[in-house]
Amino acid sequence: MIKISSLTKTYRANKRAVNALNGIDLQIGAGMFGLLGPNGAGKTTLMRILAGIVNPSSGSLRVNGHNLATEAGKQAVKSMLGYLPQELGLYPDLTAAQFVDYMAILKGIDDPRARQQSVERVIELVGLSQEAGRKIKGFSGGMKRRVGIAQALVNDPKLLIVDEPTAGLDPEERIRFRNLLVRLAAERTVILSTHIVEDIGQTCRDMAVLARGQVIFRGSPAELIQSATGHVWTLTSSNSEKPNHDLTIVSMLHLAEGIQYRLVGHSTEEYPAAENVQPGLEDGYVWLMKSSGYAVDAL
Amino acid sequence: MRQFSLRYTLLTYRLDQLYLPAAFWALFAIICMFRMEPDHLFDMARAYLGAVVPLIGGIMAAYAILDDPALELRFAAPARAERFLLERLGLIFAIQTLCALAFQAFVLALGADLSPLGNAFGVQLAWLIPTISLMTLGCAGSLLSAQTMTGAFLTGIVWLLELLARGWLARNAGQYVLVFMGALMPDHPSLLINQITLSALAIAFLLAAWALLRYQERYI
Repeated sequence: MIKISSLTKTYRANKRAVNALNGIDLQIGAGMFGLLGPNGAGKTTLMRILAGIVNPSSGSLRVNGHNLATEAGKQAVKSMLGYLPQELGLYPDLTAAQFVDYMAILKGIDDPRARQQSVERVIELVGLSQEAGRKIKGFSGGMKRRVGIAQALVNDPKLLIVDEPTAGLDPEERIRFRNLLVRLAAERTVILSTHIVEDIGQTCRDMAVLARGQVIFRGSPAELIQSATGHVWTLTSSNSEKPNHDLTIVSMLHLAEGIQYRLVGHSTEEYPAAENVQPGLEDGYVWLMKSSGYAVDAL
Repeated sequence: MRQFSLRYTLLTYRLDQLYLPAAFWALFAIICMFRMEPDHLFDMARAYLGAVVPLIGGIMAAYAILDDPALELRFAAPARAERFLLERLGLIFAIQTLCALAFQAFVLALGADLSPLGNAFGVQLAWLIPTISLMTLGCAGSLLSAQTMTGAFLTGIVWLLELLARGWLARNAGQYVLVFMGALMPDHPSLLINQITLSALAIAFLLAAWALLRYQERYI
């Protein structure tokens, strides 16, 4: 169980204080937890604080009872942690097996036999057994991500933190990666931080949305979808003029009769032809951001 | 927990950084080969041991910690900061030691006399103390500024200014922090205090680097 209370993080940039996190309160239990938010929302800062790399400015954070404010607590959390950072750096001249083995040593797995078994297990789990002896510098982006998740799992962590894991992956790799995360979440807490709405919808039953360092939604993806009911429309227009009036265009589709817009907003009174439709998770996210007063960079 | 592997420390070390000490070793060896008079060999030996080895050690140490592609993963592991610091600096120190000892063996084989630097222990102190001083300075400098380039620049500036002003420093209070004294002025009356001061500074820089490395968020 992770308990985060009144967590803040302030950075100093060019003699100016920047509040990356602004009073976060969260409780995260076992299973898959999704953390969604736009770029710059504070997700990576929160992930790094959870990983014991960044110190919070104030507030408290406990992971399985260990207080991350103390050095002993930090070491205890790191011992039970698997971490896949957003910007994954690897040693290009090591093979996949060597890299995971080295990370296992750094994580304190001293017994060579136990370590070898762990390395083989996680390499197989991520589907890299055939490539284990190849140098990482020859790997594709997806394969490097898999090496990243293998090193994160090598100590059989109770808490797995993955920060933007599917960024840059092709569709097939993304699906494979998401399925792997769901499998892993069966026996541990997995925190998936992403700005890709679809990744959350496909994997999580519990989630939060972060914006400008604050939690603006906490619940299930279904609840987020539900919140947008009555605020999503489709409108087909034969002219090239885009719908306006405080409506956010979520998507556009070229049809024979014109352009079909998918719109999120308070009202479509100005457009009598607009049809109210069932929202999806992306609509729910856009509606949440819009109704909470955060700008949505849509079309 | 051991959390250390010499094999991986070597495998993850950027081999291109070995070109610098290897190139200077070869350069000085070639210069020695051209003129094998004992005086010339001695001058080359003390220039290499007392000035070049410390400079290269300092520059390499400036890159030792932060020039690591997997730094964030390292920080997320339960391995302690001091272990990481000693592992990286230890490797660079070992490389510099190897270079210094190999060069001494080389010039001695060519007929050099290193006794003006003192006895065998004194000869080792002539390169060892400035090397650890500039190594720890370079490392602490790069961690303080969170930039490898700054640490390397700081090392280079201190080295250059002390080399240019060595005569003036030797006559003033600067004599206690003159890194070249062991090699260039082995008979200076303040040599022992100089070596003690430089050693104390090296320990202080090392402790500073250790303390700075705990603020991991500055480096990712």
